[in-house]
Amino acid sequence: MGDSSAQYIHMVQHLIEECIKFNMSKEECMEAISKHANIQPVITSTVWKELEKENKDFFEAYTNSREERASEMETRQKIHKMLLDSSSSKVTDGDDDD
Amino acid sequence: MLAVSPFRSAIDGREGEMENFLIGDGDFLEFSGGNLLDIIDFDDLFVGINDEDVLPDLEMDPEILAEFSASGGEESELNTSVSVEKVEDDSVKEEDNFSGSGSSLKQGEEIVSTRDESVAVNGSPKKADKGRKTSTQAKNTQGKRKVKVDWTPELHRRFVQAVEHLGVDKAVPSRILELMEIDCLTRHNIASHLQKYRSHRKHMLAREAEAASWSQRRRLYGDGATGSGNKRQMSPWLAPTMGFPPMTPIHHFRPLHVWGHPSVDQSLMHKWPKHLPHSPSPPPPPRPPTWPLAPALHPPPPPPSDPSFWHSPHRRVPNCPTPGTACFPPTMAPMRFPTPSVPSIGVPTTPTGQTYSHTPLIDLHPSKESVDAAIGDVLSKPWQPLPLGLKTPSTDSVLVELQQQGISKIPPTCA
Repeated sequence: MGDSSAQYIHMVQHLIEECIKFNMSKEECMEAISKHANIQPVITSTVWKELEKENKDFFEAYTNSREERASEMETRQKIHKMLLDSSSSKVTDGDDDD
Repeated sequence: MLAVSPFRSAIDGREGEMENFLIGDGDFLEFSGGNLLDIIDFDDLFVGINDEDVLPDLEMDPEILAEFSASGGEESELNTSVSVEKVEDDSVKEEDNFSGSGSSLKQGEEIVSTRDESVAVNGSPKKADKGRKTSTQAKNTQGKRKVKVDWTPELHRRFVQAVEHLGVDKAVPSRILELMEIDCLTRHNIASHLQKYRSHRKHMLAREAEAASWSQRRRLYGDGATGSGNKRQMSPWLAPTMGFPPMTPIHHFRPLHVWGHPSVDQSLMHKWPKHLPHSPSPPPPPRPPTWPLAPALHPPPPPPSDPSFWHSPHRRVPNCPTPGTACFPPTMAPMRFPTPSVPSIGVPTTPTGQTYSHTPLIDLHPSKESVDAAIGDVLSKPWQPLPLGLKTPSTDSVLVELQQQGISKIPPTCA
């Protein structure tokens, strides 16, 4: 019985790792794994937490990189927006004088 | 270069610096005649002098030679001081004679040559040396021989200073000579060195320009790709995907710092792997580009007497570019991973293999299908190795945790 538990946990870990490859957050993992593998989110979450304890450095880096990516995305979106705004404003410039 | 500094100081001086001579003579006095020849490397003295410019003045030499020979014969057993004094006197006379003629350079040479001659002659029976000196002198009288100048870093530095002072394009050898104030150089030496310097400079500037344009382009691409050029080193994409163990690639970015620009140069380095070996390392920021480095990559076509000298007036070719360039092709190319989430920018590529075995691109928003597929894969093939290889927590701790959450056993019977 302990064996199967270990096996199960191993499987969950495997699943979590796959999700991490997709840069997913813990919550995202829980959702995906629950949806596709029928594993209770609480189990995923617990295993995740345990993994985090065992692999602190990795998860730290992972979290940081995710955050950075998020902020970068934000910045990029802002820039895109700015570009869009500026280009659209150029179009409307001609209408100023009546 | 020279073994004997007193000589140099005497030579460098203009007229009327016979005091140096005296001092030098004092040194002479310390040694017996025989030892002088051991200590003093006369060949060095003749370097840089005795070219055609000296021709007219050397005519005197045979006379002096004869004089010295005579005195040498007489005084071979006498104190060196006597002979030296004689030399000194003669030199003084010569100087007076020559004061009106030619440049002081020649005079300096003259003094040196005669002095040497006297020493050689008055020295112990080192006939070989004497013969050598005489023959050298004889050659000098013919004046066709050009002595090679040893362009030491110091010498070259003064040369560069003089040239910069005048302006590279306007620098005229005679003016450079004046500014450098080194008597043993001739206008001809300077002229040829100047030619080499200019050609080398042109090369260096061309490389610099090339490098600058590369880096500029890189920056443009980089900014376009990321929107923020900072912290590229972190490479957020890499860390999670490659998993824990292979964190090292991130460290590889560091060498780039040394090499090129702090930001973004990694961004598309792999794009131009071919260029890397060719493109010169742009001179590292602190180095003034008076004679830019880019060593080892582009020695000037006619190698000067000291090839490595060209590359660095101040110090020998550092290995800086070598590690820099070496770093690039192997480490950068595979490593660099341009932001995957911006396919609109024509940023090339997929990194070449490395650790991205099963997920070539990191998805910013992982598609449901791909996640589903991956998960399905795990479920169907549980024996496959863990992709990230994270350390497995102990079963017990997990179970304990789960029990706290209200789950008594796994796999749970009710999903």
